[in-house]
Amino acid sequence: MTEKREILGSGIETVSRDRLLEFQGKAPPVMSESYERAGKELRDRIRRIFGRSLAIREIDAGSCNGCEIEVTALGNSFYDIERFGVHFVASPRHADVLLVTGPGSRNMEEALKRTYEATPGPKIVIAVGACAIDGGIFGDTYATTGGIGSVVPVDVFIPGCPPRPEALVQGLLLALGRLEAGGT
Amino acid sequence: MKAGVIDSCIREIKDGCGEIVSGISLHGNEVHVSLKDQAKIPLACNFVRSVLGSRLAMIVCTDERGRGEGFVLRHVFEKEDGDVFVLVTARIEGEGFPSIVPDIPAAALYEREIHDMFGLEPIGNPDTRPLVLHEHWPAGLFPLRKDFDIKTKAGRVEGRYRFQRVEGDGICEIPVGPVHAGVIEPGHFRISTLGENIVNLETKLWYTHKGTEKIAESMGLEDAVRLSERISGDESVANSTAYCQAVERIAGVEVPQRARQIRAVFCELERAYNHIGTLGGMATDAGFAFGAARLYILKERLMQLNDALCGSRILFGINRVGGVNCDIGGEGKRLLLERLGQVMLDFEKVTVFLRSKSSLMDRLKGTGIIPRAAARDLGIVGVAARCAGIDIDTRRDHPYAGYVDRNGRSPQQLVRDQVEMEKRQGDALARFDLRVREVGESEKIIRDMLDLEDDGVCATVPEMEPFQSALGYAESHRGQTLHWVMTGKGNSVYRYKVRTASFCNWTIIGQAVSSDIVPDFPLVNKSFDLSYSGNDL
Repeated sequence: MTEKREILGSGIETVSRDRLLEFQGKAPPVMSESYERAGKELRDRIRRIFGRSLAIREIDAGSCNGCEIEVTALGNSFYDIERFGVHFVASPRHADVLLVTGPGSRNMEEALKRTYEATPGPKIVIAVGACAIDGGIFGDTYATTGGIGSVVPVDVFIPGCPPRPEALVQGLLLALGRLEAGGT
Repeated sequence: MKAGVIDSCIREIKDGCGEIVSGISLHGNEVHVSLKDQAKIPLACNFVRSVLGSRLAMIVCTDERGRGEGFVLRHVFEKEDGDVFVLVTARIEGEGFPSIVPDIPAAALYEREIHDMFGLEPIGNPDTRPLVLHEHWPAGLFPLRKDFDIKTKAGRVEGRYRFQRVEGDGICEIPVGPVHAGVIEPGHFRISTLGENIVNLETKLWYTHKGTEKIAESMGLEDAVRLSERISGDESVANSTAYCQAVERIAGVEVPQRARQIRAVFCELERAYNHIGTLGGMATDAGFAFGAARLYILKERLMQLNDALCGSRILFGINRVGGVNCDIGGEGKRLLLERLGQVMLDFEKVTVFLRSKSSLMDRLKGTGIIPRAAARDLGIVGVAARCAGIDIDTRRDHPYAGYVDRNGRSPQQLVRDQVEMEKRQGDALARFDLRVREVGESEKIIRDMLDLEDDGVCATVPEMEPFQSALGYAESHRGQTLHWVMTGKGNSVYRYKVRTASFCNWTIIGQAVSSDIVPDFPLVNKSFDLSYSGNDL
């Protein structure tokens, strides 16, 4: 199993394959059971409502980037949200869900509106984080719209500063539940 | 030694430009130089920069008309060879002030910002296009003036932003953003290309401008700590530390050494998880998903450690004025050392592995080279400066928090070898290597720092006098973050000026990509890892 490979370049060690296997790491992964349960529920609902996959477009409407850190975390191997059928897509034209963060800054207002209009219906808008709900600490000022609800219609609010990955999945579940019940 | 540097600094100012100065005063490591006449700003600034050997760190404008002082400009310079800040202060009469851009290019964005927010014209600055207030804002609104109501809802007007134009056969313009393809913050990039080659890149930011500085003015000094954490979510500890230190300096509070050490520990944890995330981002943008996945696992493990230590995955809520909210007890220390040790073991393996991948290394090598001269002219800070061989690090140059022990010593990890610095190429690979190295340094600093003193986590903070001001600073994972606070009546904030490392470093990206092709742009951008929110405020 030990397959030695010489690597070019200064200061670069020779790497053998069995050392790569050590990447599994000694620390056991800290998995959250509630997250796993919610994720499986999410997968089942996505199958029922959307066939197989749910496409999300994330829009930062003035966030401090705290919410982005947690949304990005959904993609890491701990949470690995793709295994439940959720994909972050590059264009609003491919999206079922808009995940919007930030207090709705005035300078992003137009871009947010146009992104919403570019998204085909039926579409779900989820306001992520305290700022997206009502402006949060940044409030309703000359520079913000005091929450994204005053720019686009919001279906689900996910509180938190920032909301944890578990909370984001719960929010998605809630949104799909409403869609299934004939809402939005 | 420190007193010697300051004394000689004051003496030189008196000798060199004594006739244009109306007063010199000293507050801690801040030398305040008041000018008799605003017309002498360029002369004084040039003197401070070239004769005293300092670089422009920030320009603060305040509206003090309410207390009969008019508009006041403070040009803040940071001495390159000593722990001294020089503030050139001048009262502005009329609607304009002399620009220092012809001599000090780093001032360009500060002056445009002041033009937008205070309506003062930088006379002699060739570029006064709007910066913060985009083209849809009506003219005549100056949000940071005291008579501007924060609740003002201005109408939208038609307008067009004038991008730099490149003309000629075969030139193509690529507009990117503000809504990007990935989960990142909003900004607009206008790339002019000839074939695949980038000829010019112009960055238009401030999409996330949310009035942070203005909101601070309606807050109490203690409440604004929460705001400072949200300047940029991923540098919450650095920014709140800088803010708290400014307020503590005004209050004359001696923060317990234990609290200072805990601040430094969390500053380093913040650096570690963000650097690892950025390395992962660089792997992603070079198309190497496996390497990225390994790094994101490590980032997640550090964020779970953050959560276990303070209840927040991105370290919100650590700081308060006078100390910290979160102690690290025996159990916390054990957990921190154990988990950090495990992460570092894996991190070393991952980096050895990444370095063995020529497909990744080839993408990084020679890509996004920072020209050293431009870096100096534009006042670049942090990782971007250090990867180009400019040895600046606020933790060592202006020791704060736990980065100075009771005997006045800084952590040895921060003393760098000059010969090694000179060899740094300023390309994406240099930034990759530097981040890997700094994660290792962070771990060592944390280990040394955890020998905590036993003198409490918070000092009592007295009522503060109004209209006192001070600087606070810290080295975030991006570079120096510099804050300036002026107190108002009843322990409130009169003015809070923030300048993060991102503000200094955004301009250099245009220089760095000028010899690259379009597909390299995302990689170069990620290798700088700048914050949009920290820039836009």
